[in-house]
Amino acid sequence: MKKNKASRFTKINGLPWILPAFVFVAGIIYYSIFYTFNLSTLDWNGLDPIQTRVGMSNYTKALSDWVFWKAIKNTVVYFIFTFLIQNFLGFIFAAILHTEVKFATLHKCLIFIPTILAPATMAPVFRLLFSPQGILQDIFDALHLGITVDWLAKPNSALFILMIVAIWEFTGMSFILYYAAMSQIDKEMLEASHLDGAGNFRTLLSIVLPNCKGTTVSLAMLGIIGALKTFDIPYLITTGGPNHATEFLGTYIYRQGIRQSHLGYAAAISVVLLVLAICGAILVNRMNKGDEK
Amino acid sequence: MFQIRSKKNKVVLQIVLLLLTIPYAIPLVQMFLGSIGGIGFLNYKAVWDTGVVPIYFRNSLIISAGVILLVYIFSMTAGFGFAKLHMFGKEVFFWLILIALTLPEVILLSPLFVTFQKMHMFNTFWAVILPIAALQLPFTILLARNFDSGIPDELMEAARIDGASVFSMFWYVILPLTKPIASSIIVLTLINSWNAYLLPLLFLQSPDMQTVTLLPQYFQGEFTNDQTKILAAAVLTAIPEIIAYLLMQKNFEKGMSAGALK
Repeated sequence: MKKNKASRFTKINGLPWILPAFVFVAGIIYYSIFYTFNLSTLDWNGLDPIQTRVGMSNYTKALSDWVFWKAIKNTVVYFIFTFLIQNFLGFIFAAILHTEVKFATLHKCLIFIPTILAPATMAPVFRLLFSPQGILQDIFDALHLGITVDWLAKPNSALFILMIVAIWEFTGMSFILYYAAMSQIDKEMLEASHLDGAGNFRTLLSIVLPNCKGTTVSLAMLGIIGALKTFDIPYLITTGGPNHATEFLGTYIYRQGIRQSHLGYAAAISVVLLVLAICGAILVNRMNKGDEK
Repeated sequence: MFQIRSKKNKVVLQIVLLLLTIPYAIPLVQMFLGSIGGIGFLNYKAVWDTGVVPIYFRNSLIISAGVILLVYIFSMTAGFGFAKLHMFGKEVFFWLILIALTLPEVILLSPLFVTFQKMHMFNTFWAVILPIAALQLPFTILLARNFDSGIPDELMEAARIDGASVFSMFWYVILPLTKPIASSIIVLTLINSWNAYLLPLLFLQSPDMQTVTLLPQYFQGEFTNDQTKILAAAVLTAIPEIIAYLLMQKNFEKGMSAGALK
């Protein structure tokens, strides 16, 4: 984070300008965080007048809960695959569309439209697309491939389908960021590289990619926080199933807290989630700063 | 980025681009084809005749407008304060807001669930507007502050010498100059509030209060798993978003990318 330059107007009192916004944000967010901390030490269903204080036992319960660990594992797998594939594709699209190609705007729109459509709107589409009634099945049948599209129902493949959906949804984001970063690259540097006899891929790897490093770091940050926040896609497409195969921390918190009224347990997992998100953000920030030195 | 001379390579690149883009079109094709399955375009008529689509759109509009208004006012004023004015412990306040950036919205569920119940705020737009705005603000305040820091003090000083109050300095100098970042903030907030699913799902239980993201679920109940109608509803929801994007491509792309370019 860059330090704020001292302004000559620092004598004017900023309190009336900052305080309302701060009170609003802190009032909702920090209130919720402290409330969650408190809830996490209770055994409570949210309605019962009796709240039982149980100390840290909700936390120890999480540590021995295989679904909790499954959700963590899914989050890690999901982050690694979506981060690599989505940013690779976004980078390639940006490089191609910075070259002179035909129908560039059309391609750009097709890649970007998924990022603005709500996952909630697209979920029924994906449920159909990855079912035997969808057009993928029609295509496979027409080619006589003998493949049955039932991947969402199988524990081994469901998570990968959700990752494909996430990549479909967020490539536009990676693309637009890399596209903006590539506009900043000095044209002469590219010319020089080509004159030195470096091929297109060589130039892409040793000139373009390093120059987009800031973007890659930003995308890593967005990716980690995004993976931890994941809710809409698994909840709407597989509701975390089959047999928790696509459970994420968000969907598990919802399942425990809202569906099953284990508010204390849900709150304990929420606290873990918050700590992981903050650690992730600090880690990426550190890595970035370490490299700059 | 690529340097391509030969005609053949140009064609190859064009084909590669096409092959890479096709998978992005498939879900949209599926959405459309699925929506005209069975009785064809009559699916749209059936969905429209239920009369709920305009209501859901109106609700989404109200919520988005409310969130945008709150986010705009608070990011502009706080961004100005953080960038240009003096306050004891300003950096601490700023960091406290930044930490909130990482907050997953699902953490808000239990606390707000219990609190809104006590305050009888269930089924009010406020129950959705307030938390969405609070989740959006840490980010937009950061954007506004970074942008405001780049505005030269001289511009404000000139106004100051002319005897302008702090408020008119903000009104006549800062606001006009921050239009680019304001448009990014508005678009970003619009997309996030329009697409919000979890908070409306939880806090807006009555059908006449629900938002467009809950339409598929409504039709799942209404047409008992008649996929074609659910998809027709999805198309109706997607079209205004796609049109808005096509009309304001530059704004959308800048809004979505504004965050990562700090």
